[in-house]
Formats: sequence, C-alpha cells, structure tokens
Amino acid sequence: MPERVASTIAAEMAESPAVETVGLSKTYEGRVHALIGLDLRVERGEVFGYLGPNGAGKSTTIRLLMGLIHPTSGSAALFGADTRTKGLTSRRSVGYLPGDLRLADRLTGREQLESLARLRGSLDAPLRDELCERLDVELDRPIRQLSKGNRQKLGLVQAFMHRPQLVVLDEPTAGLDPLLQGEVRLLLRETVEDGRTVFLSSHSLDEVQHVADRVGIIRSGRLVDVDAVESLRERSLRHVTITFAEPVDPGPFAALDGVRVTGAENSVLKLSAPETTMDALVKVTAHHPVVDLVSQPADLEEIFLELYREVGDGR
Amino acid sequence: MAIFPSIESSPEFDKLIENYPDVLKSLFGIAEGSSITSGAGYLDVELFSLMLPLLVLVLAIGSGARTFAGEEDAGRLELVLSYPVRRRDAVLAKGAAVAAEIVLVCAAAGLAIALLDPLVGLDLSFGHLGGAILSLAALGVLHGWTALAVGATAPSRALAIGVPASVAVAGYLVNGLHELAGWLDPFRFLSPFWLLGSSPLQGGIDAWGTFVVFAVSIAVLAAGSLLVERRDLEAP
Repeated sequence: MPERVASTIAAEMAESPAVETVGLSKTYEGRVHALIGLDLRVERGEVFGYLGPNGAGKSTTIRLLMGLIHPTSGSAALFGADTRTKGLTSRRSVGYLPGDLRLADRLTGREQLESLARLRGSLDAPLRDELCERLDVELDRPIRQLSKGNRQKLGLVQAFMHRPQLVVLDEPTAGLDPLLQGEVRLLLRETVEDGRTVFLSSHSLDEVQHVADRVGIIRSGRLVDVDAVESLRERSLRHVTITFAEPVDPGPFAALDGVRVTGAENSVLKLSAPETTMDALVKVTAHHPVVDLVSQPADLEEIFLELYREVGDGR
Repeated sequence: MAIFPSIESSPEFDKLIENYPDVLKSLFGIAEGSSITSGAGYLDVELFSLMLPLLVLVLAIGSGARTFAGEEDAGRLELVLSYPVRRRDAVLAKGAAVAAEIVLVCAAAGLAIALLDPLVGLDLSFGHLGGAILSLAALGVLHGWTALAVGATAPSRALAIGVPASVAVAGYLVNGLHELAGWLDPFRFLSPFWLLGSSPLQGGIDAWGTFVVFAVSIAVLAAGSLLVERRDLEAP
C-alpha cells in the first residue's frame, strides 16, 4: 500500500465518529422488524443515551454494533471500521456489557476476568484492581454463588478493564444499589473526560438524563428523536400525589403550564407534571396545609404518550 | 477382563458363538473366523465392538455439542464473541479441545488394557492395540466435530446432539447389516465403522479407512468454522 493512501486511511479512522450507522435494519425470521432504517451518529467523547421501552430494538442495535448479529440491510461502523467486514478491528476498541449477562458459573470472578483478558491478549492488572476496588467486586468466590448485582459488577469491570475507546453498556445499572449506580455514573463521566465514548442503553429516562449528553429515543424499531438531554428534561414527567389536610380546589393546579389533574378525591390530588414546573407546583401546594407529597418519575411509555398527545394537539 | 482366563480354556465358547445367528454376529462385529478364546477376539467382543465405541461416542458428541451449542444456549457466547476473536478461530480452538479430550480418554483406555494384559494373559499385539485405540479416537473425533460443527452452523443444541447421534446409529447399522441386506451394501462406504475396519485389534489398523475418517472430520469442522461466520448469534 502506498504510504500516502495508508496515511489517508489512518486519518479517516482518526476522524470518523465512534458509532455511525446508515440505514441499519434488522428483520428476524423474515417477519419481525426489530430495527428499521437506523441512522445514528455518536461523536467521540460524549455519553450517548439510547432510550426506549423494552422490546423497542435497543439490544438489537447493540448486538449489531458488536457483530453478534448481521444487518438485514444498511451498515454500522465503529471508528470507521465496518462491523461486518472489519469486525475484528471494530471490536478491538470496544468494551461491552450485555443486557443479559451470562458468566462462567464455575469460575471465580478473578478466573473469569483473567480468561476474558486472555482473549484480548493482555491484562492491565492495576486498572482491573482499581475498578474492582471502586465497585467492591467479589473476586474469589465462584460466580454461581454471586448475586445478580455482584455479577453485574464483574460485567462492568470486564467492559472497562482494557481502557476501551468506546464502552457499550446495555442496561448497566440493573441490579445495582443506588450507591453503586452513582459510582457507575462517575465512571462514565470520567471515561468521556478522558476523550473516550460511552453508548448507554436504558429504558429509564431518569437513569440516562443525569449522565448522558445526548439522547436518542427508539420505539418499535424506529429512532423517534435525537436530542440534547436538557430538552428532554422538559418532557420528563412526574406523577405527583398530594394529600392535603382538607379538600382543595384543583383549579389553580390545572392552570400551571403542562400540569394535568388525573384525579381529585376528597383531600387527595393526583397530577402529572413536567419536571420543569415542579417549583411552581410546590409553591401553589404550599398555600394549603399538606399531609404528604409523593413524586414519582413517569415511565418512558407515558412520556411517549405525552409527546404524541402534544403533537396531536398542535395540529 | 478378569474372567478371560476361564473363557480361554473352554473351546465351547467358540462353538456357542459360531451358533449365534448371523445377524447378531455381524451386528456385534464378530468377524468371520475370529475367536473369542484369543485375547484379541475376546476384547473385540467384550469392549471394542460395542462398549468402547458407545462410551467414546457419548463422550465425543456430548463434548462437541456442549462446547458451542451448549454455550450459546446458556448465553455465554454473547460476551466471548463480542471480544476481538474470530468466530472461526473460536470454533477451531474448541475443536482442538474436543479432540484432545477424546484422544486423552482413548489413550487412557489403551493404557489400562496394556497394563492389565500381563495380569490376565490376553497376549495382545501392542501394535494392533495402538491401531484399535487410534481407530476409536478417529470415530470419536468424527462425531465430536460433527456435533461442534452442527452447533456452529445452527443455534440448536438438539440438532448438535441429534445429527451426530443419527450418523452414529446409521453408521453402526449399515456396517452391521450390509452383508445380510444386499440393498445396504452400496452404502457401506458411508459408514465410519466400516471404514475403520471391523476389528483392528485382531487384524491391524485400516490405515486408508482411518485416514478417510480423519479427512472427513477435518472437512466437517472446516465447514462449521466457515458457516458460523454467516449466521446470527442467539440472544441469551
């Protein structure tokens, strides 16, 4: 290969995005359209949240990126290396945590990590030890004796332990307690501060919005929207249940921007409200004596419904 | 094996076996003119015509099916194949492990027989014993690699066990019955049992047949290692 051509290719590789898919589609068994024409570009150095309800096509996308399944049409590339024709190159720069992690039950955590490291050819022992310490990983017990959370921690360690340029995580905090979820979030932020990239799938907006820079929303195999996290927060709904000491008039609450009264019985008021109006809502609430206030994040499916309702209203 | 000395001194056993129906004799691989009262003939009837092949086949098919189809079924290939590993290299490495397991078990069986020989006075030819063990290993490797290759080609543990098991049963029956049922005769070349010879322990190894069985094994494994690249891995 002439030197100039080689350097051009090297330069392209250096500039190409961490993840790029063009018309990526997957149909299973000729029937189920799991993914339809996905065009996605994830830049280097960002945390990209990939958000969608269960069964929307998140895992299908990720398994296509990892070369575990082949596209029906379209293509995907990691750092410019096509996942189908240059699978070995594309996988070399990635750390992957599967959504449904299965480890070798008979091995201890330490043996499992070492056997996986051998597949890459080398082990960065200090980095492994640092990760194990941070996530408080049980290394010396057989994996079959470990809880789901402890297995998940091993899965996280193997995804990060070779300092990959791209970390692909499918529902990473499943089974982890809140303290560790925070540690994982920190780990993700450190990764991107290092100039590396994170692709994070989740069905929970709350999980993604605190850590992602941009969010792609997928539903029924189609990418609905790619947006900065701030604009999503405006759509982030809360279910609020307020119990007052005496019955109140729901009128002033319903008048707040974006708030809907979903139930008013005696002294209990049920509302759905965007996160952005929480401050105004609490101030109106404060005019009355309050017994209890519960606020819960709505799930993604409801946010979608809200999204589509708005679109419908606009017509 | 310990009762061999009492059989050796009773020629009636040969007469008894001679009077067996031809179907039984040919099914159990009792070759014309072989003698149960010779050490090698005795071992052929007791171990090499059915017992050892059966054990080796069970081990080989189990091992070949477990290592790919079983691992995929358990969802453990998901992580391994997301690493920078070629699928075909994974299949070939698993093939080497399956073969090593079979060879080890066959060698251990051969060694045990060789060590017991002087104790019970079988008076075996070590060359023939080695040949019989090699034929046994060839049989195991063929079926073990078939199980592995089928599992690599299609995501089904049932097929990975069923296909090589059917090959084994068909091969055994064709070899056992082709002399009696004329219409089976043209198919005898397809039976690994026929290719490996009815009794390497008494007559020596069938070098050409054993070579063919190994060559077919390699072709089957190679096919599996190519076809595995084309398909989707099952989700855990």
